Amino acid sequence: MTKAHTVVEFPVRSAQPLPTGSAEILKLDGVSFAYDDRTILNSVAFSIRRGEIVSLLGPSGCGKTTILNIIAGFLAPTSGYAFIAGTEITGPGPDRGVVFQSYALFDWMTVEDNIAFSLICARRPAAERREVARRMAALVGLTGSERAYPYQLSGGMRQRCGLARVLAANPKLMLMDEPFAAVDVQTREALQEEILRIQQETGCTIVFVTHSIEEAVFLSHRIFLLTDLASGLFLEFDVDLPQPRWSAENRLHENFIALREKIYRGMRKAEQPQRRTEDVS
Amino acid sequence: MKSRERVMARRRYVVLSIVSPLALLGLWFLATREGWVRSVLLPSPQAVLTSIVDITLSGYSGVSIWSHVVASLSRVLTAFVAGSILGILIGILRGRAPHFDAAFVIPAEMLRPIPPLGLIPLFILWFGIGELSKILLIFTSVFLIMMVNAQAGTRSCPLDLTRAALSLGAGRGHLFRYVVLPAALPQIMTGLRVSMGTALSILVASELLGGDRGLGFIVLDASNFFRTTYVFAGIFLIGLIGLVSDRGLALLTRKVVHWEGRR
Repeated sequence: MTKAHTVVEFPVRSAQPLPTGSAEILKLDGVSFAYDDRTILNSVAFSIRRGEIVSLLGPSGCGKTTILNIIAGFLAPTSGYAFIAGTEITGPGPDRGVVFQSYALFDWMTVEDNIAFSLICARRPAAERREVARRMAALVGLTGSERAYPYQLSGGMRQRCGLARVLAANPKLMLMDEPFAAVDVQTREALQEEILRIQQETGCTIVFVTHSIEEAVFLSHRIFLLTDLASGLFLEFDVDLPQPRWSAENRLHENFIALREKIYRGMRKAEQPQRRTEDVS
Repeated sequence: MKSRERVMARRRYVVLSIVSPLALLGLWFLATREGWVRSVLLPSPQAVLTSIVDITLSGYSGVSIWSHVVASLSRVLTAFVAGSILGILIGILRGRAPHFDAAFVIPAEMLRPIPPLGLIPLFILWFGIGELSKILLIFTSVFLIMMVNAQAGTRSCPLDLTRAALSLGAGRGHLFRYVVLPAALPQIMTGLRVSMGTALSILVASELLGGDRGLGFIVLDASNFFRTTYVFAGIFLIGLIGLVSDRGLALLTRKVVHWEGRR
């Protein structure tokens, strides 16, 4: 099957260009994945630059989590290659941190030990672990909860802990699998703004999986609308919103509203199989 | 307000847990006083109490009560500790290593449904009627229970937790020590409580094998001579040990797996 990667241009205003001169950090090259003879991904290819936030947007079952699991190294592609910073991905590793929808915190460890888990694995001294945990807790707004256990925290706080745990490992790439799907709307919006603030502060690269158009538009520099991964098809949208990106005002910005509508139409059109590769504008 | 409600709930729990056995005791008292049952089948609570006092003060069959208790407890504890350790080790190995599991699955699963009492004749044949047979009988039950629980616990670790640990740089050792083992602990602790109860119940059976010491011996010896009040006294003491050990293990469980049921 041929690769059909349709790029849809969004009117470019140079208010906030993508990080310039930044190198490609992630590259998928003809990645296919089949499960029980069922094709989930067929020859999917894209690359992501350092410092970008890219959302993989699509309905459940579209294969977005499969892509994330392949990048994380939890699944091996049936064929094709995935590269992180030029090295082929062969398994999970601390250069790619994952934030889970289920939080996946270790309930038997304090928040501090959860955050410092990657340093425990790297056999760093206790003083350094404490110091990093304290710093990361402050970065995500968990100061004062370091001694608590995850089950004593609210859902939003737990995901802050999950975020801090990944940040403490200082990964090249952060993978987020619908991380805010289980928290209420107010908390979700606060966490989205927090992500953008932290990304600005640390310059980290994020691949964000979501089924919410609003979330993708608010958070991303680029959005891949995963219309038909079993044929290797997806639509790409550039997001152009004013700085600071974390400003809640952006949710009411004309570009936000226009792009949301455009993606929505693209999504609806993609649901009609015979017309899926047509222009969506 | 909320903590006040919790205190009240706790108080209700304690009151009920004391009132309910007292009610049973009252019913028992009535049944014997009104002559609903023959006293050789069910002696009165006062008679049982007298026997307990008598055993405590002057022993049973020429041996002090403490010798009986120590004899029973040392059998149970030796078998419990050894059986738990070996059961947990092999259960974990079976949970983690498919090859190991394959080697164990058929013998272990064929041994498990055999009632320990069915093993008694065989154990007499192999190990005689001394301490070894008694301890091995209890050991076998504890071992099988702990093996199943440790294996299931080891496999109960959620996939996301394993993945999270691996993507944070955990090697096999760290993964096991910080993730798989703690995730298995709730089930291992439950296994300990279940197997302690089983160990005590098999104690009596194991003391069928002979000997002149132990709480099970008191029960069996007294029943041979229709000294029903002493049968009850022995049963009461075994039950008391069971209650204390179970409450102790429950308390330990709450301390060790403090996160259980609070996620």
